[in-house]
Amino acid sequence: MGSDGKKVLVVDDEADVCVYLSRLFEENGFRATCAGNGDEALQAVEKERPDLITLDLSMPQTSGVRFYQTLKSRPDLAGIPVVMVTGVTGQGGSRDTERFYSTRRQVPPPDGFVAKPVDPEEMLQLARKLTGQHQETAK
Amino acid sequence: MSAGTDGRILDLSTLDVSSARLFDELPCWVSIQDRNFRIIKSSTKMIADFGDHRGEQCYTAFKNRTEPCSECVVTRTFEDGKEHSSQETRFDKRGMPHDVLVKTKPLRNGTGEIVAVMKLFVEISAEVELANRLHDSVVRFRNLFDNAPCFISVQDRNFRITDSNRRFDESFGDGMGEHCYELYKKRQDRCPRCPVAETLLDGEVHTSEEIVVDNQGRQIHVLVYTAPLRNAAGEITSVMEMSADVTELRTLQNELASLGKLVGGLAHDTKNVLEGLRGGIYIVNLGFKNNNRRDIDTGWEMVQRNVARLSSMIMDMLYCAKKRSPRQVEVSLPAALKEVAGLFAGKAKQFHIELELKAEEPVEILGEPKEIHGLISNLIANAIEACNADQDEQKTHRIVAKVFRHETEAVIEIEDDGPGMDAATRNALFKDMVSTKGGTGTGLGLVMSQKVAVEHGGTIMVRSEPGKGSVFTVRLPIRPPSAALT
Repeated sequence: MGSDGKKVLVVDDEADVCVYLSRLFEENGFRATCAGNGDEALQAVEKERPDLITLDLSMPQTSGVRFYQTLKSRPDLAGIPVVMVTGVTGQGGSRDTERFYSTRRQVPPPDGFVAKPVDPEEMLQLARKLTGQHQETAK
Repeated sequence: MSAGTDGRILDLSTLDVSSARLFDELPCWVSIQDRNFRIIKSSTKMIADFGDHRGEQCYTAFKNRTEPCSECVVTRTFEDGKEHSSQETRFDKRGMPHDVLVKTKPLRNGTGEIVAVMKLFVEISAEVELANRLHDSVVRFRNLFDNAPCFISVQDRNFRITDSNRRFDESFGDGMGEHCYELYKKRQDRCPRCPVAETLLDGEVHTSEEIVVDNQGRQIHVLVYTAPLRNAAGEITSVMEMSADVTELRTLQNELASLGKLVGGLAHDTKNVLEGLRGGIYIVNLGFKNNNRRDIDTGWEMVQRNVARLSSMIMDMLYCAKKRSPRQVEVSLPAALKEVAGLFAGKAKQFHIELELKAEEPVEILGEPKEIHGLISNLIANAIEACNADQDEQKTHRIVAKVFRHETEAVIEIEDDGPGMDAATRNALFKDMVSTKGGTGTGLGLVMSQKVAVEHGGTIMVRSEPGKGSVFTVRLPIRPPSAALT
């Protein structure tokens, strides 16, 4: 993990997804931390001030939708770019996705969407674009 | 003196108006009979249409009888001197039937004695035909009303039932005079939104979908249509309410919706498993590339875990998709509960959850031991997950697992003091896939549990409220004493 790499917070209740994405980011010059639910994510954001958040929409307890709304309502945190990672692509399908679309008028849209299963190259390209992390710094 | 149509005064004395002549020329059927029912005079029209029967007894001439009719208006007029009437069918000389109204009037001599009776016949065939048609229409309407494949009631302005069809009466009782909401909804007051009230107000047809309760306490989904019924002045006096039973349709729709959610849930979980596999492979490859044993181990564990999860999901799906009859093996429920609880003891301890057993009483059933174990495992695993998902981190949790007898049933009860569920979650519990994301479950646990309970002749139900935990109760028939083992 590069000490100068941009910080990514991976928010997903699937432990394997957290391990996978954080290893993917670390291997490519980012620094990564994980959160398993919306509450943990909010604590981590306040503590770590990440440069990027990857967020699963469907999670137990504080859902991804609620966390996103809270994040965007906080002026000090609203600027952090967010990539939505979801098992359901497009409109309709999961209740959380539907809810997210229904609240889109109240919150700005996320900075990107990535569908599960995550394509590593697609995710890295998006992360580099949103954080300004150069590929040269990758291992 | 009388005024003619041309306005000139008519002098009746210039006309030949002897009573005999007038009688003959009456443009209707008239006859005069004596005390012996003999026809002594008939009008010309009577003779022309019915033949000349003067001198004959009327019952012989017109009824082909040898003695007077039992009910005879002529007899009555002779007896009481009053006018009488009756309705009968007479056949003319060509054999054509005529429905006639017969009116009688006594004819007296100079001393006031009744010497004859005059009979006037008024043709009412058209009226009788109309009355018959009306009667047929009423019968046909009643048949349609009664045999319509829906519940029909007519309600007055006070929502009281003034008429109902057979199907309505069979399902809700003959509720003549009762309020519709008492019969349909078992309510004491009017429904908040009432299509009958709307139709009474605006005279339009209104529709709604309602859930009503029949005599047997069964809930019936009905599609309701209301239409105004007006009097001759056009005022709405009552409303007809037609309700079509759409219970099966709604059940099917709900099942399809549940199936859709189930498939969606499975697809979602499959994507998560694929994500885990992809992640595992990625980390294994990293390990090989960087010669990092730790990455190889971590990645390989992820691959193994997700392959096992996929395998488990497929087995659960196959189990849910197939209908089967469980084996009839003797299963001791206290022993099964203790064994399963033993398997979960470590996990409960890890999450600081107290797992208490109450299974002292011997309770045995006949069934498939593996499936009963699976059912108990699902319920205890769910209870642990529920406690673990409680956001109140200060709370220490407790699960109580019981087995006991209640009358002819064996009862398994798993109670947790986790966060509980709202009504929507509770209702969807056994129908939809309840994802246990983050855990090792497949989300089909409760669907499977219900299937096991039903296939063993039992039921499963849940009591739960937000903040008050949940109690899952499985009731299974106790093994009959003489049941043969297979």
